[in-house]
Amino acid sequence: MKKLTILFVLISGFGLAQEKTDTLAYKKRVLESAEVDFLASYYNQDGNNAAVSGGVGTEELTDATSTIVVSLPLNADDVLTIDAGISAYTSASSSNVNPFDGGKDANPFQASSGASSGDVWTNLVASYSHSSDDRNNIVTAHASVSSEFDYFSLGVGGSYTRLFNDKNTEVTLKANAYLDTWQTIYPYELRPFGEGGAGLASSFFNSHTITGNTNYQPQFTEFTDKNRNSYAGGLVLSQVFTKNMQGSLLVDVVSQQGLLSTPFQRVYFSDVDDSFIQGFQLADDIERLPDNRLKVAVGGRLNYYVNEVVVLRGFYRYYTDDWGITSQTASLEVPIKLGDKFTLYPSYRYYNQTAADYFAPYEQHVSTEEFYTSDYDLSKFNAGQYGLGLTYTDIFTNFQFLKLGLKSIDLKYHYYERNTGLSANVILFGVKFVVQ
Amino acid sequence: MVLIAGIMVLAGNAISCNTVKEYEKVNLNDPDMVLGDKQVNRNLTNFHSYREAASGANGGKTGGGCGCN
Repeated sequence: MKKLTILFVLISGFGLAQEKTDTLAYKKRVLESAEVDFLASYYNQDGNNAAVSGGVGTEELTDATSTIVVSLPLNADDVLTIDAGISAYTSASSSNVNPFDGGKDANPFQASSGASSGDVWTNLVASYSHSSDDRNNIVTAHASVSSEFDYFSLGVGGSYTRLFNDKNTEVTLKANAYLDTWQTIYPYELRPFGEGGAGLASSFFNSHTITGNTNYQPQFTEFTDKNRNSYAGGLVLSQVFTKNMQGSLLVDVVSQQGLLSTPFQRVYFSDVDDSFIQGFQLADDIERLPDNRLKVAVGGRLNYYVNEVVVLRGFYRYYTDDWGITSQTASLEVPIKLGDKFTLYPSYRYYNQTAADYFAPYEQHVSTEEFYTSDYDLSKFNAGQYGLGLTYTDIFTNFQFLKLGLKSIDLKYHYYERNTGLSANVILFGVKFVVQ
Repeated sequence: MVLIAGIMVLAGNAISCNTVKEYEKVNLNDPDMVLGDKQVNRNLTNFHSYREAASGANGGKTGGGCGCN
């Protein structure tokens, strides 16, 4: 009997040990296999309130962006994600940083074909995440770098997520820092009035005739601080409410310091006589904005599973900053499943904002003000956006391409319209593969 | 604000009341129930942050880049 008892204890112990080993062996991987996302977008806009030409002139802009995102499971707990993107744009308003190099008479309502009419933006982000064995703790860290002709940005950040309440409640704390540097580019006619410039005696003014106020003396000095630092902290609280409803509360606080003005955006003063070359009004100065800004955004998402066909996805955000802007955003997307593989995504988004304290339209600032801008992105406006998308999903990844199994294809179109006259079309495309 | 207040009240109630078990989360695990934007919408969120003063609290980026065109 004693031997039998010992044998039972040994077998039980072996069994328990085996169960523990099996638990570890069958721990579900955070990411089963590597995934690759190809994303592309096309954006174009038009309007007549270009900030480059002081609140008047064409805002025509076209942008094409492509991005690849590769997520690699390093082991059962860790995932490395590499995100690389490139974006090329042509901009009529940017082209008017120098409106005199296009071979035609300068005019704020026409694009110049010179060097400032386009640029390329590149971006690289590396993220690493680690999940605890019980999947209730997740730590992520990321670093990013992006570059364009006149701007360079370095970013670092991280987050900690804790799940509890049987994974019905999730709290995430996050922090990010971006250290950016401008290569300041000023409107062409102001450059002779910068450091070491010859003013009206420069070759540019010797070869171009000023009309209107011929004694052109802009109120222009170059920026000394060319850095822009942004520090962001955030909180996300997600909660499962019922078997069909879950929501989240999001809070972001961002502090920005440094050069927050855009150096090539012109301002025209009402108390200064106007000067012109050809059909283009010469800048009285560039926009001047405070060197710090505190932004607070509070948002909420609420998703409701109506039935096997329809889901409701709601979003609301309130935003305020110490430049005097308050804003509200509300959107509703209603995914409608069309069988097993296709889903339709109609959506509507409404946005409004009040004007920044420093905004005034063309020729409505006066030269004695400390801060001023005529950038309509900082004006009072409201905007509506209508969207429609279609997604193809194949959970069995039946379609194979090399060693990639097709998981989903997304195609979306959005039309955006502001009551200031700006309108935009956005086409989004995405395809997701799983590495077999 | 009403939605946010509602979420906070519901969250408080939900945390202190019944929880939904893993085997009851079939509908919550539907891809369209994810509490975040889909990857394909990322550039759309970026465009919004360039053309509008407000940013943040939507899963999009909160800084970096000039967005000046």
